[in-house]
Amino acid sequence: MDTIIFKNVGKTFKKGQKLLLKEALLDMFKPSKSETFEVLKDINFSLEQGKTLGIIGNNGSGKSTILKIVAGVMFPDRGSVKVSGRIAPLIDVGAGFHPELTGRENIYLNGVILGLKRSEIDKKYQSIVDFAGLGDFIDTPIKHYSSGMYMRLGFSIAIHTDPDILLVDEILAVGDEAFQHKCFLKIKEFQRAKKTIIFVTHSLFLVGKYCDEVMLIDNGVIKYLGDPKIALEKYKTQES
Amino acid sequence: MFLLRYKEILNELVKREVKSRYKQSILGYAWVLLVPLINLVVISIVFSFFIRVPTGGVPYAMYLFAGLVPWMFTANAITSATGSVVQNNSLITKVALPRYIFPLASVLAKIIDLLLNFLIMVGFMIFFQISFQWTLIFLPIIFLVNFMLILGIGYILSSINVYFRDVENIIGVFLTMWMYLTPVLYPPEMVPSNVKFFFNLNPMTPIINSYRNVILYGVVPPWQSFMYSLGFSVVIYFLGLTIYKRLSRNFADVI
Repeated sequence: MDTIIFKNVGKTFKKGQKLLLKEALLDMFKPSKSETFEVLKDINFSLEQGKTLGIIGNNGSGKSTILKIVAGVMFPDRGSVKVSGRIAPLIDVGAGFHPELTGRENIYLNGVILGLKRSEIDKKYQSIVDFAGLGDFIDTPIKHYSSGMYMRLGFSIAIHTDPDILLVDEILAVGDEAFQHKCFLKIKEFQRAKKTIIFVTHSLFLVGKYCDEVMLIDNGVIKYLGDPKIALEKYKTQES
Repeated sequence: MFLLRYKEILNELVKREVKSRYKQSILGYAWVLLVPLINLVVISIVFSFFIRVPTGGVPYAMYLFAGLVPWMFTANAITSATGSVVQNNSLITKVALPRYIFPLASVLAKIIDLLLNFLIMVGFMIFFQISFQWTLIFLPIIFLVNFMLILGIGYILSSINVYFRDVENIIGVFLTMWMYLTPVLYPPEMVPSNVKFFFNLNPMTPIINSYRNVILYGVVPPWQSFMYSLGFSVVIYFLGLTIYKRLSRNFADVI
């Protein structure tokens, strides 16, 4: 069964959105130069449940946009997207954390935002704290946390939401080695549990090690989709 | 059904807003009550000693408080809702949530302040020996109209604010002007009759008058003008939802 289906998906950004009324008003009198930028052009792919997909490509190629469309925070201008299942976005974990609130309060806040019920969080609470390795810091406002502790807590909450689809964006570059190791064990566990995973990364090592399929994307077009080894070859030749 | 499904998220967002607001301040949540009280004292001094206004036998401080509390709720809720989307940008660009909840959560958080201020008002009423009238049963309907107006405006301003941050800068000035055009500090009878027509176009005028009438004087809301506010609020509410729905699709692209 396919959990993610993209059909002829296209997305265009307006370059330099006017954030000041003044600019917008002034521009009304100027001949309109339609400065748009096509991030995604006609993207087609589907991902089977339980598969791990890696997306590689240069900066600005459209990787993160695909991830954001899967996450449901951006919408395509053209084409259709179907995503089924609960998503855990490990994109910049800790979104919605409030710095003045304690770790404990933020666990409930973030857990509910990611789709858990309070009662479910009650049950998983200890496991979340243990995985994050926060110990006594759990009742400290998270503004006093180190960036590593912050990420660990965010990651720990996200993986405890029992997602069907895991979206991972360069996240694992943070945390010390012990924590990274824990994360990868968890990802392996997810793979065994037939969860769908999408990695967006520059780390070719990760792609080679964990992915079933790899998508090479360049300027909003899929250059290759399939075997990780071939994708990596193509990416390297494209680089040079 | 929308509300039921996202009740827990809404609940947490409101809690976050309430809990975090006065952290790192000594007096904490007491500020919710102190700010209106300080305002009350200052304005009362001005209007009791320098400018006398007729209040129908009610002490001016009491008269003022009955209008100032709902007004401050309105102004604070609109301000807070206006910034709500931009402030939640990290959630908006990362987690798929129904985007309606951000302005709604800010307004709901302000309702807690309103309720606390109503408690203080009860204390005032006992102190000034104002009898509690049966017309207090109209408070929920007046509040509901007030709430729809706030939320509608909040939806409109918060979504436009994503595109033009000018909105959050201008909103304070706009609300101050609006307050002077609404009978918060003075009774509506003081408005010159030749501008009365325009004065009554302000949807907040009947709302504030109604709050006062039912709390202080035991008089039912002035239905004719109140119905105007009700109609106005319903229209603004649905207009707000429509605009918000349209603009919110692209929030993550622009924010």
